[in-house]
Amino acid sequence: MQNTVSAEAYVDVRLHVNGTVQALHVDSRVTLLDALRDELALTGTKKGCDQGACGACTVLADGKRVLSCLTLAAQCEGREVTTIEGLAADGRLHPVQDAFIRHDGFQCGYCTPGQIMSAVALLQEGRAGSDEEIREFMSGNLCRCGAYPNIVAAIREVAGRGSE
Amino acid sequence: MTTATREKVIGEPVDRVDGPAKVTGTAHYPSDFTFPDLTHAVLVQSTIAVGTIRGIDAARAEAAPGVLAVLTHENAPALVEAPVTLVDGPPPFPFKDNRIVHRGQHVAVVVARTHEQATAASRLVEIDYEEAAAVLRIDDPRAPVMPDRFAGLSGRGPGDVARGDVAAALASAEVVYDETFTTAPVTNNPMGLFATVARWEDDQLTVHDANQWPTMVRKTLATVFDLSETDVRVLVPYLGGGFGNGLRAWPHVILTALAARVVGRPVKLVLTRPQMFTSVGHRPESLQRVRLGASRDGRLVAVAHESTSTIGSLDNGQIEPVTQVTGNAYSCPNVATHDERARLNIPCPHSMRGPGTTQGNFALESALDEVSYTLGIDPIELRLRNYTEVHPVSGQSWSSKSLRQCYRAGAERFGWERRTPEIGSMRDGNWLVGYGMAGVTFTPGEAPCQATVSISRDGTAHMRSAATDLGTGTYTIATQVTAELLGLDFDKVHVEIGDSDLPSAPYSGGSALAVSLSGAIEDAIRNLVGALLDVVADDESSPLRGRSPDEVTLGNGGIQVADAPAIGETYLDILNRHGLPEITAFGERDPWANPASRPLGSFAAWFAEVRVDADLGLPRVARMVSAVDAGRVLNEKLARSQMIGGAVMGIGMTMLEETVFDPNTGRIANATFGDYLIPANADVPDIDVVFVGTPDEVRPIGIKGLGEIGVVGVSAAIANAVYHATGRRIRSLPITIEQLL
Repeated sequence: MQNTVSAEAYVDVRLHVNGTVQALHVDSRVTLLDALRDELALTGTKKGCDQGACGACTVLADGKRVLSCLTLAAQCEGREVTTIEGLAADGRLHPVQDAFIRHDGFQCGYCTPGQIMSAVALLQEGRAGSDEEIREFMSGNLCRCGAYPNIVAAIREVAGRGSE
Repeated sequence: MTTATREKVIGEPVDRVDGPAKVTGTAHYPSDFTFPDLTHAVLVQSTIAVGTIRGIDAARAEAAPGVLAVLTHENAPALVEAPVTLVDGPPPFPFKDNRIVHRGQHVAVVVARTHEQATAASRLVEIDYEEAAAVLRIDDPRAPVMPDRFAGLSGRGPGDVARGDVAAALASAEVVYDETFTTAPVTNNPMGLFATVARWEDDQLTVHDANQWPTMVRKTLATVFDLSETDVRVLVPYLGGGFGNGLRAWPHVILTALAARVVGRPVKLVLTRPQMFTSVGHRPESLQRVRLGASRDGRLVAVAHESTSTIGSLDNGQIEPVTQVTGNAYSCPNVATHDERARLNIPCPHSMRGPGTTQGNFALESALDEVSYTLGIDPIELRLRNYTEVHPVSGQSWSSKSLRQCYRAGAERFGWERRTPEIGSMRDGNWLVGYGMAGVTFTPGEAPCQATVSISRDGTAHMRSAATDLGTGTYTIATQVTAELLGLDFDKVHVEIGDSDLPSAPYSGGSALAVSLSGAIEDAIRNLVGALLDVVADDESSPLRGRSPDEVTLGNGGIQVADAPAIGETYLDILNRHGLPEITAFGERDPWANPASRPLGSFAAWFAEVRVDADLGLPRVARMVSAVDAGRVLNEKLARSQMIGGAVMGIGMTMLEETVFDPNTGRIANATFGDYLIPANADVPDIDVVFVGTPDEVRPIGIKGLGEIGVVGVSAAIANAVYHATGRRIRSLPITIEQLL
């Protein structure tokens, strides 16, 4: 039985990442996650499973949260991608970033970029109405250090301020 | 020398100093590092559990686009045997010969220019196996028994307890209890995929590697590649969790460095999530028997606790100390404990947070709960009747012990007095409500540690040590300790860790790092003050001229005379006047050179409310409370987080987690985050933590260590609550809905 290797194909993609247009020439198999990390040196977005099951790679695409490990870079032509590096504006932390620090919403910090991107989207989705709702709609972002109660507290506080 | 407490920062709930880096994506983990000519390695793993490799056909992989090398046992250069470390022996190196001892063993490494090319080519490596019969069950009589490697001919290890006459006491006890417990194998699964980036420059090796012990990885790599330790540098400024996974230099670390040497370019290897189940250890399965003898009034007259834990078939690992604290938890004249391991064809288990003790506590504290129902004595009262003021094995008094306060404060916060003792008596609609508790005695570690502390003319201080911060807060607490002891502002202190070139530090493990590092910092600052006083010894313009370290105190950014605080000067005054850019002192503490005069323990009480759906058997942990005696708490915010994190991991192993080995093939049937369920946000209730300890009288800064105790006791508290709610006594973790239907 012939087990063929797919012939390598390269594609040209123009991504809008954190407000900057990036022209890439990449292997068609490259995920958005690997393109961000390896091609654009935006290593804040993390690989926790590469199978769409942990949320560590969460970024915003056109304002909606997506799993960048399940998204091919080639699918993102022309889309506006926001990563953790693009969240702070003019050197000032986003309110969610600030709240995560004060509520100690992380320990090792590896899942944190994904948690924060997910939290920013959740607030925009209007899903922070109660602790139960926050817990449910943050359950796609795993944290093995177990910072969940502090993550809920941080999001609750930002929601209470009416931010975003 | 004493230290003034004006800039008191120890204990305060300071935000993590690494917080801004972590929330902006600028904290660099090992897999984030790259080099211009970086290449990528992907592992090929065995698809049989035991046997030999008859042959390997790598031709198609080697011919695939971008491939630079395919390494296997057939072409890999021979390496020197890895050294035995403080924790245990090395895991077997997979490329030594053609033997396969577990499914998922590394059998080839494919190196290519890109990750995609390496991944594609890895599927083209063809391995011809000769398969043999695998031993995969803990109760398989063919599984060889591995006693403690320090055990004598008797097979009894140094951790085993034999006190009094257990057999006679059980034979004459008024109440006798005898049950078997099991705990499933569970996998650490830190979120950070373990990764190694290796680069050779001539015979100098630099490695960015996910581990909890850079100096051990350095020593291992130096040994196996026959280098001087000074020619190897291991860097891990940030680590995406570890929970024990990072306490060994696993084979993939060595293979990455080997691949980089073979291809002559830097190599990055990132384990996949399925490979995280087979390559870096897991908490072994345990099979335990607990026998108790008690009087009708609830006094323990006999405790016998035996455990078998699994281990890999060629692994030279340490004993899993399941019964480690059983002999010290309660006052009892007749105690016998024994731990051993059964060799199976499974990936090497290894340390996972609170190794052994976590599994053992589940059995012992569940057994006590059962006896409390037999005797009709409140579970807390039963524990108080067997409270021990002295460390039973040594007979000495503890260096500190506030377990009584843990029971009292925890019960109060939890509302234990609302508990009605009858099973199923606290129903709330369709929910069967149960309250359960568990006591915790834990033995935290301590290990030799070194550090330097420098004061610079820009007014900053630097603390440097080869320690790591795997999310435990080392950066922050080391800053607090240094700032307080120096009497400097917190934001003037900078901590550099995560680099094997820095002064030697022990593992982040065994709840040992905070205390070990604090002891080294204390010594360095003592030496720094001595050095500063030496500088001004003959300085006529110094108010400290001729003073000795015993006569001074530190505070307000300088040194003052202890009994005349108005007399003194700042560190900067001394450096400026003497034209010194900075002054550095070395410090170390070796707890083994002068063993503590009194035995050490940390203590806790866990309380859980569980709700079980009366029709569906659906179990939910509704809330948890812990009262902890960990001695002096360095940072209440981070300490609380660490306890909560332990509880979440405990909820996982109690309610959700089991690494399922297929009994026929040894394949892990659920090696993904989609199938192996760790707690998600919605699985975790409110967790209330209260610290009741006082500073320990023996250990540096009064610290006892908090890294592990949070996970211990969670399982028994939940299982005991499940029993109280439903009358189902679950002696097998995890507790699943099938067991409650």
